Amino acid sequence: MRKGRPFLEIFTYALDEDYRFPILEIFAFLFALGTFVFADFAPYGQTEEALAYSLVSTLCGFPLLFIFVFLILKNVAYGLGGDLEKGVMQTLFSYPLKRRYILTAKLLSGLGIAVLLFFGIQIFGLFLLAPDVILTYPSTVFLTYAAQLCSPALLLAGLVLFFTLRLKRGGLAVVIGVVLFLAGLIVSGFVTSIAYGTGSDLSLKIWAVINPNSALQIYYYNMGMVGFAPKTWVPSFSEVLLYLGAGYLVVAALFVVGYAYFDRRLEI
Amino acid sequence: MSLIQVEDIAKSYGRVVAVDGLSLRVEEGSIMGLIGPNGAGKTTAIKIILGLLKPNRGFVRVFDEEPWDNPDIKPKIGVIYERAFFPSRHKVFDYLKRVCRIFGKPESRAREVLALTRLEDAYDRTVKALSAGMLQRFAVAHALIKEPRLIIADEPTSNLDPEARRELLDLILQLHRDENVTFLISSHVLPELSRVCESVAIINKGKVWAAGSLMELSEKLGARTTRISTDNPEALGELIRKLEYVNRVEVDSRGVSVGVLAGEDERLYEDVPRLAKKAEAKIVGIETGTASLEELFRLAVKSGQGEDRR
Repeated sequence: MRKGRPFLEIFTYALDEDYRFPILEIFAFLFALGTFVFADFAPYGQTEEALAYSLVSTLCGFPLLFIFVFLILKNVAYGLGGDLEKGVMQTLFSYPLKRRYILTAKLLSGLGIAVLLFFGIQIFGLFLLAPDVILTYPSTVFLTYAAQLCSPALLLAGLVLFFTLRLKRGGLAVVIGVVLFLAGLIVSGFVTSIAYGTGSDLSLKIWAVINPNSALQIYYYNMGMVGFAPKTWVPSFSEVLLYLGAGYLVVAALFVVGYAYFDRRLEI
Repeated sequence: MSLIQVEDIAKSYGRVVAVDGLSLRVEEGSIMGLIGPNGAGKTTAIKIILGLLKPNRGFVRVFDEEPWDNPDIKPKIGVIYERAFFPSRHKVFDYLKRVCRIFGKPESRAREVLALTRLEDAYDRTVKALSAGMLQRFAVAHALIKEPRLIIADEPTSNLDPEARRELLDLILQLHRDENVTFLISSHVLPELSRVCESVAIINKGKVWAAGSLMELSEKLGARTTRISTDNPEALGELIRKLEYVNRVEVDSRGVSVGVLAGEDERLYEDVPRLAKKAEAKIVGIETGTASLEELFRLAVKSGQGEDRR
């Protein structure tokens, strides 16, 4: 028996379950529509690089980001949690595949396709709307997408994965995911206020580890992007990269915890 | 060779002890039944054997390997749960074809198992459109795809109508006879279990209270029943009840059914003529038989208040 075959079969099964018609089509339509509609709302920047950041972060900001996050929650929390809740996981565990590969197949379907769909449409849209931006500032475009993907998308997915495995209830895990997402938005505002109120940049730095996009945002605000940003702390470009790396480490740690729990502790 | 070896396993959920010191062996080519009251620990034991739960202590080997997260033993084990769990949106035949590909079997195997489980008419139905009985048969088909050497079934006949139950039991006997498939079957339907099982393990309060063939258990538990046919059952029954080695006396209009302690059958045969004379009863016939599984089960539930009689 070829080892790869069971993995591919479980992966395609997961795709069938996660993206049955017309779910993928509806989300693709929403992403495509949103990409072109919200491009007009991008604020101006005093420099072209700041403008590039502004355009990309607007495109993958709220509400498109919420649709993206909701797709991830639907697939990771509701899909995986539903399999645990209904007992389908017992059937999957009867197949000749290590637990970690079953989880990988489920996450590749739940996260991988959502990420490809979202960023595929966005980058294609960006090429149509502002090809100069991608061609002139590819690193800015890449960094902005990387920061947005790190947090909230992957960070939330890692947290929700753990809650889903612990609770074994898809619906409840989705609710927790939405609450965490909204809490993140509220905390983001608080952090800026605390920085202004206390004059200390500590809260901003801590938040930048969890949400590296905030460091990137401050960096580009300082470069001349029009908008409201704290002046208590302005990271250098290398610091921004450091915070982005730290953010991905946090995400990786969350997924390692999820995998370890699934591998060694999950009882059904 | 033991396909399943379980030694002194324990499993608790918080303060609730589900399994406590359970030991079990299932030999290759046997059909073993697992019986016990609700909450006895049968399903927990089965889940530990399947590697879905980790025991708090003890030793478990299936095909001589640790079952937890072990893909190597999966092609050898077919599983039938009390409630079947499958991705519900898939079509019956499509899903079984996928399972064939997973286990490296030709797709014709999917047709074979559908025919074997009388699901030919459900080829194009989605799994969620199957009735409870059909879903159970689908679970059997799913378990058979890989041509397993061992089938573990937790209440496999639940949800099945009498005809389908009979067919499933026939299928179990056929697989056992023709392909030497080993079975571990947990069930509450004791007459069915006694029809197919060569040996049983009675579980109560999380441990095996007794295990062996029906004959061995009857002897070990003193559950053999001697039937004495007489014209004066009331008087004879009264006298037999006073014998110290008798643990059960049931009187009806035609005779007396007597259960004695293990190894005391001969004494009863010696005492009956004397007591019949005293009771002025005429003995028409006397014979001793194996206790039914129901009687053994009743004994386990009644007297097995955590006591290990092995």
